[in-house]
Amino acid sequence: MGLFKDSKTFEEVLGGFFGLVGETPEVAERLLASNLVIRFTYTDPDVVLVVDCSGDQIKVIPGDTDMKAAVNMWMSSDTAHKFWFGKVNLTAALTRGQIKAKGPIPKILKLLPAIKPTYAMYPRYLDEYGFGEYKIY
Amino acid sequence: MYGTILDCEYLSTRIHVTLNIVYRGVAMPLPEFFQFHSPTRVVYGAGLARDISTECSSLGATKYFIVSDRTIHEAGLVKPVIEGLSTDGIDISGTFFDVTQDSELAIVTEVANRARESGAEGLIAIGGGSVIDTAKGANIVFSEGGDLVEDYSGTGTLTRPLKPFVVIPTTAGTGSECTLAAVIYDRENKTKLSFTDRYLLPSIAVLDPEMTLTLPPALTASTGMDALTHAIEASVGIDASPLSDILAFGAIELIFKNLVTAVTDANDIEARGAMLIAANMAGIAFSHSMVGCVHAMAHTVGAHFRVPHGVANAILLPHGMEYNIEEGKEKFAKMAPLMGVATAGLSMDDGAKGAIEAVRNLTSQLNGLGILPIRLRDAGVPSEALPHIADMSIEDGSSFYNPREMAAEDLLVHLKNAY
Repeated sequence: MGLFKDSKTFEEVLGGFFGLVGETPEVAERLLASNLVIRFTYTDPDVVLVVDCSGDQIKVIPGDTDMKAAVNMWMSSDTAHKFWFGKVNLTAALTRGQIKAKGPIPKILKLLPAIKPTYAMYPRYLDEYGFGEYKIY
Repeated sequence: MYGTILDCEYLSTRIHVTLNIVYRGVAMPLPEFFQFHSPTRVVYGAGLARDISTECSSLGATKYFIVSDRTIHEAGLVKPVIEGLSTDGIDISGTFFDVTQDSELAIVTEVANRARESGAEGLIAIGGGSVIDTAKGANIVFSEGGDLVEDYSGTGTLTRPLKPFVVIPTTAGTGSECTLAAVIYDRENKTKLSFTDRYLLPSIAVLDPEMTLTLPPALTASTGMDALTHAIEASVGIDASPLSDILAFGAIELIFKNLVTAVTDANDIEARGAMLIAANMAGIAFSHSMVGCVHAMAHTVGAHFRVPHGVANAILLPHGMEYNIEEGKEKFAKMAPLMGVATAGLSMDDGAKGAIEAVRNLTSQLNGLGILPIRLRDAGVPSEALPHIADMSIEDGSSFYNPREMAAEDLLVHLKNAY
């Protein structure tokens, strides 16, 4: 049983956070420079989020399983939640099979320094948007 | 002689010595996480490739498809392997000798289809890195079907073991016979596709130094420097672990003791064997801890100016070490004695510089034999391309694992030094 009670809640939490990240210029600029479309498929509860960095601004599209994504990543919702606290080592998680990824993985790894500032944003975001109960790490 | 080099007593001594070298009295933090997974069965022996039916049948398969290239085939390296297997009741269901210099998507697919049509139960790869990577990619589609790019490119996409896969390397450089990665070139889209999965690891690696005797001096030198670069970068990379260090340091010592001999005396079976083992150890090391800025730069000059990978690594290795000297200082100082540097009484700084100087001396020695350039300009790289090389290098996947964050303007200084 995962930490989040249902898909709707997790989609609100993470989708909302991705939207906030997309409005943070220092991070968004570097993500847009990657030109990547990334599909995250989360389990327990099940949620799909597409993050489209191929245009002028970052788009977060929930539930899209059709759009062609350069990178597809699969992980549990709990792993994703922990990741945004900065508590998951991506290369270790890939090695251990906690996260699976298809596509040009080096391009994803290159984004890690860019998203580092968001680890501090995530707990603040949870507090400010009424998701404080999930601030557990 | 080298049949005994991998015995338990040797290895336990080696591990003991190496751990002491690396960790005694040094406040070197242990990694937060590491995994060590090296299930490939390694067998070593001169002439062994002619007699591997026992190993092949131990995998539960009796029909194998052989993958190689024209050069290897015409050098007469494949025929004795086939004869040995056929004599002992292993059926060779088909062969493919048209692997290209870069592992290509279309070739990979063709190998997979031909192997399946032949009724093979397993693959045998005989060759260097391109042949081995081609066979790794082919084994995915041969075993699982589907589309190589759409279904399997990436990390951890396989869910079960593939079909039996035996590798006989004919160069001592890539270590690909024991790595979990394959790089396949998609000519149509002009991109290199990476595949990383524990199930890509070959079932058996056959290290037979006789299979490297026909390797010309220049290739012996450049592939040997490739192996040295794997070992040095693996030891200082951000994912290095005590276990990958043992293998990296062991490889460094073997390479410094044997590379020049293997180059100057092609038939020295002991030097050839030591280099094959060193490349294998370095391969296992970097399969776990990856490579860094030297490979990032080498990939770029290779892609843009067709500089052979081993040559590019050889030229750039001392400069990459200079770039990483602050972050890699302890490891460089600890590897210096294994390179023949007299380190008694030296500070850590001087020990690290000694290691870099030892690498320069080795490449200069090989350059003196007229077989290895030591400057980018001598390898056909124009000076005006250096800023672009710096920019592209920081975009390379290897740059993530470098111990010092890579910045183009800093890298350019070292590229100019290498020019």
